[in-house]
Amino acid sequence: MSLIEIRNLSKKFGNNVILDGVDLNINQGEVVAIIGPSGTGKSTLLRCLNLLEKPENGSVSVDGKNYNLTTKSSKEVLALRQETEMVFQQFNLFKHKDALNNVMEGLRVVKKLPKAEARRIAVAELEKVGMSDRLHHYPRHLSGGQQQRVAIARALALKPKLLLMDEPTSALDPELVGEVLLTIKRAAREGNTILLVTHEMDFVRNVANKIIFLENGKIVAEGTPKEIFENPKNERLREFLRNINMLRTADDYVI
Amino acid sequence: MAKLFDVKLVFTQIPELLKYLPTTLYLTAIALVIGLVVGLLIALIRMKKIPVLNQIAIAFVSVMRGTPIIVQLYITYFGIPIALKYINYYYGTHYDINAVPGIVFAMIALGLNQSAFDSETIRAAIQSVDRGQIEAAKSIGMSGFQVLRRVILPQAGSVALLPLGNSLIALIKGTSLAFTCSVVEMTAAGKILAGRNYRYFEAYCTLAIIYWVLTFILERVLALIEKKISIPEQAPETSTTEKVEIPVTQEVAA
Ligand SMILES: Nc1ncnc2c1ncn2[C@@H]1O[C@H](COP(=O)(O)OP(=O)(O)OP(=O)(O)O)[C@@H](O)[C@H]1O
Ligand SMILES: [Mg+2]
Repeated sequence: MSLIEIRNLSKKFGNNVILDGVDLNINQGEVVAIIGPSGTGKSTLLRCLNLLEKPENGSVSVDGKNYNLTTKSSKEVLALRQETEMVFQQFNLFKHKDALNNVMEGLRVVKKLPKAEARRIAVAELEKVGMSDRLHHYPRHLSGGQQQRVAIARALALKPKLLLMDEPTSALDPELVGEVLLTIKRAAREGNTILLVTHEMDFVRNVANKIIFLENGKIVAEGTPKEIFENPKNERLREFLRNINMLRTADDYVI
Repeated sequence: MAKLFDVKLVFTQIPELLKYLPTTLYLTAIALVIGLVVGLLIALIRMKKIPVLNQIAIAFVSVMRGTPIIVQLYITYFGIPIALKYINYYYGTHYDINAVPGIVFAMIALGLNQSAFDSETIRAAIQSVDRGQIEAAKSIGMSGFQVLRRVILPQAGSVALLPLGNSLIALIKGTSLAFTCSVVEMTAAGKILAGRNYRYFEAYCTLAIIYWVLTFILERVLALIEKKISIPEQAPETSTTEKVEIPVTQEVAA
């Protein structure tokens, strides 16, 4: 049995089918990367998993606990959201709180930890992402890369069973991408289970255990980085990789 | 010739009128609370577009903003007793309208009038809060109420502070109309005083000074609050002692 088991996840916007019965298993400690063309529902898939979008159908089991993703019970919604945490493309730090309080917020308000303990955990998490020298900086005082590292600390402080990351480096200046990727890599090394959407193919290749190719709301191909990048069987996947210059065919080398 | 304008009196009668300052402040405080609470409710109803209530809220705000406050005070003062008589008649109850002091009518009327204006300010301020932060709060696992209290209201609060402050200043001055509900607050007391010594001009000058000082103090207080809740312009010093730089490139590629 896998740590995370997603079953028959389906989502429409109006009459547009965005996710079409997605099934996905993620094992404890795995880093699963979702790749695919723009607009195929990668973000929507992540957002359905913490119910920022309401799917029409689907369930997810987390560590043996089953959640119906169409639930109307706000108690079940809150319970599921505590199992997962999300890191957003736009960081979405609370701009009226400093770095320390951004990380403490969930510990205090959701986990209801005493102040001293929440602070201790928050400082430790901020230290791990290399932000312990800026505990009292507000988001407006931080670079994009620093904000995203705080956002990662905020998510990890809550010890999620599954960390969701939606293009965490896409809004960053090129020179800031590295520090965030490194932070993610360290989070992966520490044993966090991560479901990640990204266009950083070199990173995916190095860090992911499994890659999912999503197209038109369906998982069209999945496999290890080796299987996906070096020996893609699926024609749609080959075309996608060719478009992003990740597949070298003999033709590419003809002058 | 008798003194046309008794400058000294303008100042010597200040303490006399200040005796009624508590009434003015009390009226202001209660109306302020009614205005904020009802205003927040209306703003939430309108944003969530709750059927029926939404239409009622829109009509209410339109009427309150479209009629003079003095008319609203008279309508409240005369209307509620009439309504009560009907209720007593049809339901066989015995509510006594004379048991309700006039100041209650003034509080209700001024409070509801405030709420109409405040609701628009609050609605605009709440809508200015970044959706992404609300989603972040939800995904952390906060309940709707926690998101409202911990993320939306603090941020909307700093946006709304200035316009709400202006509306509070208008309210303080608006309490001078409470005589319509036979409340004796500062302005009414000034008129009564002048009625005794026929020094109307002096009485109004005294009132002008008191109200002006009052709003001046309030403006200072608002400025202080604004300074306190605003995010500091300058970043704090980074503590170099525990500075942890991430050595980037080598490890990512590894
Ligand atoms: N709130 C919404 N209402 C209607 N349609 C939406 C909404 N959100 C997303 N969509 C549509 O759903 C589809 C999938 O969107 P999604 O954001 O999941 O794509 P994506 O794979 O993350 O793309 P990208 O790589 O550009 O981020 C798109 O066609 C988009 O236009
Ligand atoms: Mg996306």
